[in-house]
Amino acid sequence: MEKRSYFAGKLLPYALLMPQLLVTIVFFYVPAGQAVYQSFLLQDAFGMSTQFVWLENYQLLLSDPGYYQAMTVTAVFSVAVTTLSLSAALLLAVQADKSLRGAGIYKTLLIWPYAVAPVVAGVLWLFMFQPSLGMVAGGLRRMGVDWNPYLNSGDALTLVVLAAAWKEVSYNFLFFLAGLQAIPKSLIEAAAIDGARPTRRFWTIIFPLLSPTAFYLLTVNIVYVFFDTFGIIHAVTHGGPAGATTTLVYKVFNDGRAGGDLGGSAAQSVILMAIVIALTAVQFRFIERKVNY
Amino acid sequence: MADVRLTSVGKIYAGSVPAVKDISFTVPDGGFCVLVGPSGCGKSTLLRMIAGLETITMGEVRIGDRVVNTVEPMDRDIAMVFQNYALYPHMSVYDNMAYGLRNRKTPEAEISARVAEAARILELEPYLKRRPRELSGGQRQRVAMGRAIVRKPQVFLFDEPLSNLDAKLRGAMRVEIKKLQRHLGVTAVYVTHDQLEAMTLADMLVVMNQGVVEQIGAPLDLYERPETVFVAQFIGAPPMNMIELTPTKGLPAGLDGVAGLPLPAAGARLGIRPEHLGVEIDGDARIETRPGDVRLALTVEAVEAVGAETYIHGRLGGDGQMIAAREHGKVLLPAGTTRTFTARREHLHLFDLATGRRIAH
Ligand SMILES: Nc1ncnc2c1ncn2[C@@H]1O[C@H](COP(=O)(O)OP(=O)(O)OP(=O)(O)O)[C@@H](O)[C@H]1O
Ligand SMILES: [Mg+2]
Repeated sequence: MEKRSYFAGKLLPYALLMPQLLVTIVFFYVPAGQAVYQSFLLQDAFGMSTQFVWLENYQLLLSDPGYYQAMTVTAVFSVAVTTLSLSAALLLAVQADKSLRGAGIYKTLLIWPYAVAPVVAGVLWLFMFQPSLGMVAGGLRRMGVDWNPYLNSGDALTLVVLAAAWKEVSYNFLFFLAGLQAIPKSLIEAAAIDGARPTRRFWTIIFPLLSPTAFYLLTVNIVYVFFDTFGIIHAVTHGGPAGATTTLVYKVFNDGRAGGDLGGSAAQSVILMAIVIALTAVQFRFIERKVNY
Repeated sequence: MADVRLTSVGKIYAGSVPAVKDISFTVPDGGFCVLVGPSGCGKSTLLRMIAGLETITMGEVRIGDRVVNTVEPMDRDIAMVFQNYALYPHMSVYDNMAYGLRNRKTPEAEISARVAEAARILELEPYLKRRPRELSGGQRQRVAMGRAIVRKPQVFLFDEPLSNLDAKLRGAMRVEIKKLQRHLGVTAVYVTHDQLEAMTLADMLVVMNQGVVEQIGAPLDLYERPETVFVAQFIGAPPMNMIELTPTKGLPAGLDGVAGLPLPAAGARLGIRPEHLGVEIDGDARIETRPGDVRLALTVEAVEAVGAETYIHGRLGGDGQMIAAREHGKVLLPAGTTRTFTARREHLHLFDLATGRRIAH
C-alpha cells in the first residue's frame, strides 16, 4: 500500500519545504558557491589585490606533493578512525545488549564523549599521551615503548586516530544499541533452537539485521572524519610532525588561515566537498543495495 | 521419537514471585499436549523451559531418556513455532527453512530435498524465493511450520502460533497442524488461551491457573468432569453457571430439586452448563421430569438467536443471579416471561465452596 497526500493548492508543498530549503541555501549553497568563486581568485600576500585566475589554483594544488601527502593521510586516517570507532562501538553495544541490567549507567557513561567538543577531546588525549607529563605516555615509557607523537609521525597519527575514534564511539554505540534492541528476541531464540551458536548467530542473524544501521553510521562517520576531526588535529598535533597528520580539511585551514592562500584553500575545499559527495553517492549506490531487506 | 516428562518443575524469575509451581506431567510419545489457561498463568514460561530458552529453577525436564535441564536448546532436538513466527527477515523462505539444517552441516543435496518436501506439504512451493515480508500472515505461519518440520525434531513446541491469524484462517490452520502432527508422529506441546483450539487439538489438555496445574486429562473428560470450579468455568462457552448453595443462608429463590444433593455444611457451588438447561416450549412436554432433576425458574432478560441455537439469559427466581441457557434451534421467548428450565441429575456438578474442588454425588 502506498500512502499519498494530496494538497489543495500548488503552493502549499513549497511553503512547507521553505524553511528546510532556506537553511540549506543559506548554510550550504551560498558558502559552497562562494568557495567555488574564491577558488578562481588569486590574492597577493598582503591581501591588497585580487585577480581572477581561472583554474590556476587547482593546477598549483595538483602539482603540490604536500597535497598528495594530505590525501594519503586522510585516506589512512578515515579508514582507521571509521573502522576503529564502528567496531569498538559494535562490540560495546553487543555487550550492553547482553546484560541489559546496568546498561543504563553503561549507556550514560558511554554517551559522555559525544558531548565533549572536538578540541577538548583532543586536549584530553594529549594530556594522557603527552610524552613528558601524560599518564599513558609514562606507562608506555616504563614498558619500554619509545613514544613521542611530537617527533614520530606514526605515533602522532595513532594519537589523533584514537582521539577521533573515541569521540565517535558513543554516537555509533547508541545507534548500534538501538539497532540491537530493535531485533526481536524471538529471532535470536529461533536461531538458537535452529542450532546456531552465539558467534554464528551474530554473523548470520544479528549482523545482517544491523547492516542498515551500520551503513547509515558509515556515511555519517566518513563525513565526520573528513570535516569534524579538524579540532582534534588542531589541538593535538597541529597537523605535524612534518604534515604526518595534516588531513585535507586541516590543510584547508592551514593554507587559508595560517598561510593566507585563500584561493588555494578554497580550491582545496571544493575538491574536498567533491570527494565527500562522491563517496556518499558511491555508498548509497553500491552498499545500500546490499543491506536492503 | 520421544516423550516429554516433567517432574516438579518450577520457575522463579529473578526478584519476583514464582511463575510456575511444582508441575508434573508426561506427554506420551506422539501425543499432542495443549497447555491452556488465562493470560499470565505461566504457559509460555513452562514451554520455554522445555525449549531451553528459560532456565529451570526447580525440578526436572526429560525428553526421551535424557534429562535436558542443562542441555542447550539446539541440542534438545526440538523445534519451536513462535507467536510472531520469528522468521529471519533478511532470508528467503528457502533459506529460512534451510538455516537449521545448514547449521547442522547437512549436505546441500539433502537440504534441498527436505525443504522441497516441506514446501510441498505446506503448499509453499511458489514462494520459496520470497522474503517473509512479501508473504501474507497465513503464509508466514506456514513457513514457520516448515522451518520446524524440515529438521525432523523429536518434539514440536508451539507458543500461540495461530493467534495472529483471522478466525477463518485459524480454523483452517488448526486442522492442518493436527493433520501434520499425526502424519509425522511427532510429540507436540502447544500453548494457547483459545479453548476451542485447546479442545480440538489436544489428546491431553493441561489447564493452568496462576502457575499451577488445575487439571490434566482428555478434553472431553475435562468438559464432563471438571475437578475444580476454575476448570469448570474455563472449559466451555458460555461458561458454566455457578450457583452458591449455603444451607445456613437458605437456598436461592426459584431453585427447586436440590434437596437430594449431598451438600457439605460449609456450603457448595452447583454448576450447570448452559447446554444442559432444557426449557419447555409452549406446553410441548419435551422435558419429562425425573427424580433428582433440578429445576430453575428463570425470568428471561435477553435472547440471542444465532440460527442453529439460541442463548437465553434470565434471572433466577425473578431477581436472583443471571443464568445462561443454550437451546437447540430457535427458541424465541419474549423478555419478561418466566419459564422453568430443567437440568438432569447426571449433568449437575458440585464443588466445595471453600476449596473449589469437585464433590462426588
Ligand atoms: N522474563 C520475565 N521476567 C520476570 N517475570 C516474567 C518474565 N516472563 C514472564 N514473567 C512473569 O511470569 C508469569 C507467567 O508469564 P507467562 O509469559 O508464562 O504467561 P502466559 O501464560 O504465557 O501468558 P500469555 O497468555 O499472556 O502469553 C507472568 O506473571 C509474567 O509476568
Ligand atoms: Mg505466553
